[in-house]
Amino acid sequence: MNTPSARPRTQATAAEPARTLLTFRLGSETFAIGVEHVQEIIDPLPTTPVPCAPVSAPGIVNVRGSVVPVLDLYHRLRLAPPDGGRGETTRMVVLDVVMPEGATRLAFLADSVEQVVEVPCIAVEPVPEIGISLPPDCLDGVTRLAGDLVVLLKTESIFAHAGRTARAG
Amino acid sequence: MSQLSLPAQTFMAEANEVLESLETRLLELEGDPGNAGIVDAVFRNLHTLKGSGEMFGFTALARFTHGFENAYDAVRSGEAVVTPALIDVSLRSRDHIQRLIDAGNDEAENARLMELEEGRVLLAEIASFTEAAPGAAPPAPELAPSAPTCYRIRYAPERDAFRNGMRPDLMIAELADLGACTARLDVSAVPPLEEIDPTECRLAWDAELVTDVGREAVETVFLFADEETVTIEAEDPAAEPEREAEPQTAAPAAGKPAAATPPAGAPAGATARQATKKSDSIRVQSHRLDELMDQLGELVIAQARLNRIARELADPALVGTSEEIARLIAGLRDATLSIRMLPIGTVFSKFRRVVRDLSSELGKDVQLVTVGEDTELDKNVIDSLSEPLVHIIRNSVDHGVEPLEARRAAGKPDAATLTMSARQSGGEVLVTVADDGGGLKTQRIRTRAAERGLIAEDDALSEKEIHQLIFAPGFSTAETLSSVSGRGVGMDAVRSVISELGGSVEVTSAEGRGTAITLRLPLTLAIIEGLLVRVGAPTYVLPLSNVDECVELGDGELRADSGRSILTIRDQLVPVIDLRRVFAGPGAAADPGRRVVIVRGESRRIGLVVDDIIGQHQTVIKSLSPYHSDIPGLAGGTILGDGSVALILDPVALVKTAGQPATEAA
Repeated sequence: MNTPSARPRTQATAAEPARTLLTFRLGSETFAIGVEHVQEIIDPLPTTPVPCAPVSAPGIVNVRGSVVPVLDLYHRLRLAPPDGGRGETTRMVVLDVVMPEGATRLAFLADSVEQVVEVPCIAVEPVPEIGISLPPDCLDGVTRLAGDLVVLLKTESIFAHAGRTARAG
Repeated sequence: MSQLSLPAQTFMAEANEVLESLETRLLELEGDPGNAGIVDAVFRNLHTLKGSGEMFGFTALARFTHGFENAYDAVRSGEAVVTPALIDVSLRSRDHIQRLIDAGNDEAENARLMELEEGRVLLAEIASFTEAAPGAAPPAPELAPSAPTCYRIRYAPERDAFRNGMRPDLMIAELADLGACTARLDVSAVPPLEEIDPTECRLAWDAELVTDVGREAVETVFLFADEETVTIEAEDPAAEPEREAEPQTAAPAAGKPAAATPPAGAPAGATARQATKKSDSIRVQSHRLDELMDQLGELVIAQARLNRIARELADPALVGTSEEIARLIAGLRDATLSIRMLPIGTVFSKFRRVVRDLSSELGKDVQLVTVGEDTELDKNVIDSLSEPLVHIIRNSVDHGVEPLEARRAAGKPDAATLTMSARQSGGEVLVTVADDGGGLKTQRIRTRAAERGLIAEDDALSEKEIHQLIFAPGFSTAETLSSVSGRGVGMDAVRSVISELGGSVEVTSAEGRGTAITLRLPLTLAIIEGLLVRVGAPTYVLPLSNVDECVELGDGELRADSGRSILTIRDQLVPVIDLRRVFAGPGAAADPGRRVVIVRGESRRIGLVVDDIIGQHQTVIKSLSPYHSDIPGLAGGTILGDGSVALILDPVALVKTAGQPATEAA
């Protein structure tokens, strides 16, 4: 599922330093994370809600025998939650992230998973200061793929378990 | 550690065991100074340390232990006597050896260690015991025949000697220490270059040694070599008695004049014992056991799934097979858990030393009595137990045991008794530390707790409830801070460690008669029996060991009392919390026919109202991620037979929540 399928436009030459990214959609926006964190992409699993959990991590799932937290990236990125719920293309992305408490496996839902691309580092631009309403500490830069603006997410801060004060229920 | 060779690592593990045994023996010897059997055991321990230490390159260790061993050799031969002072310096020397073992076998490091002031001082102290002993003869007279003898020695190690960690170079060097030694390397058995296996030993040594230390000392050098590989021949038969001219390929045992030469006989006995021990036990790194446990956990989960599918398909053959697998897994689980079980005596024995040091530091005479050392607990539980027990024992000796005058005034024996006991009770192990000291001062605890704002001045509390306040954070009644305890962190720390282990602590005390602190610990941390309950849509698991009983919730039985709900069960009032309100938020519609699970935590009982009780389930605890691990009331997650995840509830934390004002719980 995650075989690299880079487009010629963004193909990096051997000399150029490049980043391999997984792109996915949340609502109408396209985001990307470093593919080195991604463990697997699976069909959504039944999620068990955790009472009194932070809004950004509302539940847990069983991924091959491990209990893994499911994060709500909509909440973290201050996006409006999807109105249609889970669709045909909804996927669960499982990744390994190093947190201050140690390596942690976690999962999040994406409305669709697009592709794995190699992007030369020079093609990644800093986040424009205006016109983007996303929380700036979660962003690593922006790039363009086939005319679409793709926002690179900073894994270490987007999955940091902040927001302890905001609890559901 | 990682750069050490495997044999050296094994040596370190074994040396640590020998040290533990040494400490126990020394403490026994203190109580029974005339016991020759214990002296022998101490000598053997030291001898093993010295011999194997030398072999694996722990030179500083071997050198130091040599001096230590001499003292006990002198005791054995009656040239020195066991005194409390000797035990004292021996115990400190044992601690020094521990540091030498931990330092490893690096050559430069060993050279530095040998120069250490501390070791020299200890050695001098030890040496003074043998020298100052009345009527001290020159050391080990029977080992020192006056005339120098020339020995012809051939040592041809077996082929796998290098792989076994043998160091022939060190042995030859040791020979050279004994006297004038000429050694020749015999390479006649070495094959042509293309056939050489560098890990095989094809070398042999021929040595001529002129010395007056006697045959014993020469044999000791080859203590760890296979007897068939060593030939020792005395050249001058006149200087050696007839019996020494024994067959050249010394037949084991038969050739040894055992009665006449105890020093050689003793280590041989120790080696024989080690050999039998090795044949019925193996050394396994504990993380391998953890891996085995993880795999077994997965198997338990997979079996639960299989069982569900079998029942859905209702195929009798499949159901039968599934049940058989379940039975086999239960057996496998018990066997695996039993591998991880260790007798609690391994922890208890460490405390002999702690109690001894404490009593001399505080000038109180305290005897430690241990009961139930054979009680077994999971290794992980045992490992976490030392620290809380140290806190408890320090508190007991420092605060519990009264000064001598007070004990005499109360008509108690001068020596206080501290009892550590362990016993199994159902799925739990109860570990109790009891002293016969002054007991808790109920009034003083009350006053102090009120001062610290832990309770209100006019709170109506039973004596027992007041006693539990000693576990509150920052609580201490000690008027003066001693170096031992009284900083008010001890008992609080004890409780948090024990809670983390899924256990609980309680204290019982009678003023003037003593205090007992009981730890309730789960047998194992990895797999628990759980009770499945439903609250709203999701299923939750309650550890069965905390469940007292389940009752139906009839209409009107719940009595709301100033915001708290109270249920009357057989004339007992039990506070009740509705898990629906805690988990699903207020306003959730209640099912008719709900049930109450009565759970126990830290000696209190509360009722948990659930929508339904589903049944029993063997549960593998999976810890929660940092996102969820600090939510109060949740102990972990587990995977149910249908593959979904259920949360495991923490009754102890829920009981605590129930103790808070109702406004917070709502």
